[in-house]
Amino acid sequence: MSLKTPFKTLPQSQEGVKSPANSSVRALARRAVPGLFTLAVGLVLAVILIEAQGYQALPTIMAGLDYAVGDATSIARTLAWGLPLIVATLGVSLAYRSGMFNIGAEGQIYAGAMAAALTGAYIGPMFTGLHLFLCLAVSAVVGGAVAAGLGWLRAVWNVDEVLSTLLSNYIIMLFCAYLATAPLRDPARQSGTTRAVHDTAMFTELIPSTQLTSALFVVIVLCGATWWLSERSVTGYRWRMTGESPAFAAASGINVRRSRIGSMAVSGALCGIAGALLVTASQGRFWTEIGTGIGWDAVLLAMIARARPVSAIIWVLVYSVMRSAARGIEQVSTVPSEMSLILISGIIIAATARAGLFTRLAELKNRYIRSEGK
Amino acid sequence: MELLNSFLGSGVRLTTPILLAALACLPTQWTKDLNVGLEGAMLFGAFGGVVFGLAFGSGFAAVTLTIAAGILSGLVFGWMITRLNVNVFIAGIVLNIFAGAATVYLLRSLFGVKGTLSAPGIPSLPTYRIPFIDGVPILGPILSGHTVLTYLSWVIVAVALFAVKNTVLVRHLKAAGEHPAALAAAGGNVQRMRILAQVWCFALCAIAGAQLSIGQLTLFTEGMTNGLGFVALAAVIFCRGRVLLLTMMSVVFGLASAVAIQVNDEVIPPQIAQMLPYLIAFIGLVVLARTSKDGGVRIATPTMES
Repeated sequence: MSLKTPFKTLPQSQEGVKSPANSSVRALARRAVPGLFTLAVGLVLAVILIEAQGYQALPTIMAGLDYAVGDATSIARTLAWGLPLIVATLGVSLAYRSGMFNIGAEGQIYAGAMAAALTGAYIGPMFTGLHLFLCLAVSAVVGGAVAAGLGWLRAVWNVDEVLSTLLSNYIIMLFCAYLATAPLRDPARQSGTTRAVHDTAMFTELIPSTQLTSALFVVIVLCGATWWLSERSVTGYRWRMTGESPAFAAASGINVRRSRIGSMAVSGALCGIAGALLVTASQGRFWTEIGTGIGWDAVLLAMIARARPVSAIIWVLVYSVMRSAARGIEQVSTVPSEMSLILISGIIIAATARAGLFTRLAELKNRYIRSEGK
Repeated sequence: MELLNSFLGSGVRLTTPILLAALACLPTQWTKDLNVGLEGAMLFGAFGGVVFGLAFGSGFAAVTLTIAAGILSGLVFGWMITRLNVNVFIAGIVLNIFAGAATVYLLRSLFGVKGTLSAPGIPSLPTYRIPFIDGVPILGPILSGHTVLTYLSWVIVAVALFAVKNTVLVRHLKAAGEHPAALAAAGGNVQRMRILAQVWCFALCAIAGAQLSIGQLTLFTEGMTNGLGFVALAAVIFCRGRVLLLTMMSVVFGLASAVAIQVNDEVIPPQIAQMLPYLIAFIGLVVLARTSKDGGVRIATPTMES
């Protein structure tokens, strides 16, 4: 309101010229405010968490950032860690867009990792490309089948997918732990691991000793494909319609059941591939804690990205840097690296509370103005 | 007989945290703000029990302070979901993950340990042996030799059964979920009811956590709730607001967990046995969806538009 008043005194012609620019500035501001707000919250939280441990916040953060993105090697290391997370987050986002809250990413990642490890270890060495492709394909099928099954339960029998995917996490993880400790354990090792996969089932390293492998190209292709599927394809449109209003989607001739099951299947397949990347790009075998927490990270990141593919990728990159920086901070200080998860939790709550918080503040301000007026 | 006795004894012990968490969540289901953050709230409760216990050297002080902290968190959580319009589902999921990270952070920074905190200074809650009943087989292990929190959980069940039938408060809580406009017109305060449900939820989750850390084990481990909160959540969804059914489901889950402890490794692999409560909860969920017309309760997930 206060911005409009000066324009009233201007001649008509000038107002016509000025207002579009003004509105675009405002639109830009409206877009930038949430980003700046979350950034500020994250920074303040980080400063508090570091200062609470008795360290100087700014130098510590800089040291952490140097560890994360200081030179080519560290950037490669940070990126290598983020690759499976990008795929998993895209998978979770895809299901969210059709209104299916796939909280079972963790379990699907484990299932995919197990499938890839078994395919890599037991189906004999083949040409590099073919064996690797087979590993990814099998893990995608396994992850997709798990998620599609849960999606089917939701679509046809109306079993709440939030709780069923939650419980499936524990069932799958315990089952994989059983496989890795009893029937399929590598006899040469004590702990719960499966046999090492053949070399033909491993990606080749791009930069030595950074674990950044040619999986990077697979992930880039998957990013592009997922973006196209979600934002540009007819199927993606149907899924989004289903997510926004199932009743309206059904009324306009969309098969809601098929959308729900389909989006869950693709979501699970991506999570399965994320699990396969853990095996074929770095670990080389399945072990019982191979992907601890990655599924949950993916759920959080998909939430804060509001299930948009592009912002999901951006948020994963931001989070990878945050996490890597937290690792670096842990090395130079006693601040635990769990700081990165605390930060992202704080940022999500701040982002979802932002609108409400500003409304409260405006209310308080109005009350103050009113009391001044009297 | 010996096996049966120890099975029943551990069954009752393992039921306690699940039952407390389920009772905690019940009012939030009435107000239609189903709290999916049980797991996180319990984890904080378990941590609080150990920390306050170490600081004050008494189990009673530990439980009291943990409950106080739970009430405070419940107020903050309730304020966020009612006044700041934070989606309760998002807040709950974030709470679960936040609790996992924050307890590790605090464990490292307060005590300098990674993984498990176990110290001789941690008080454990005393167990009470009822003189005459203690020796009776079957009845003995069920009724005697438990912590005060186990008995408290059954008192709460009784109170809840009574309250559902006879009190205005429960009617107001249910009205806040089903007909907020009607409650407001009748002079009730919808927001206060919704916040109250969350306060209750966090206070009881705090007790459930304390039972885990200082009632059963006298230590704190990272992520020690390990899915118990989700099993309790399944019980809450399954019961559709009815206390007796909720109690029965919690007991079934508790007994299923007891099987995992009692059964020999050679009979069933331990991981398969540990799977039992989750499998039962999962099957229960499917059965519920097939048998009830409305398909049970949907968790209030946010829509993803705009």
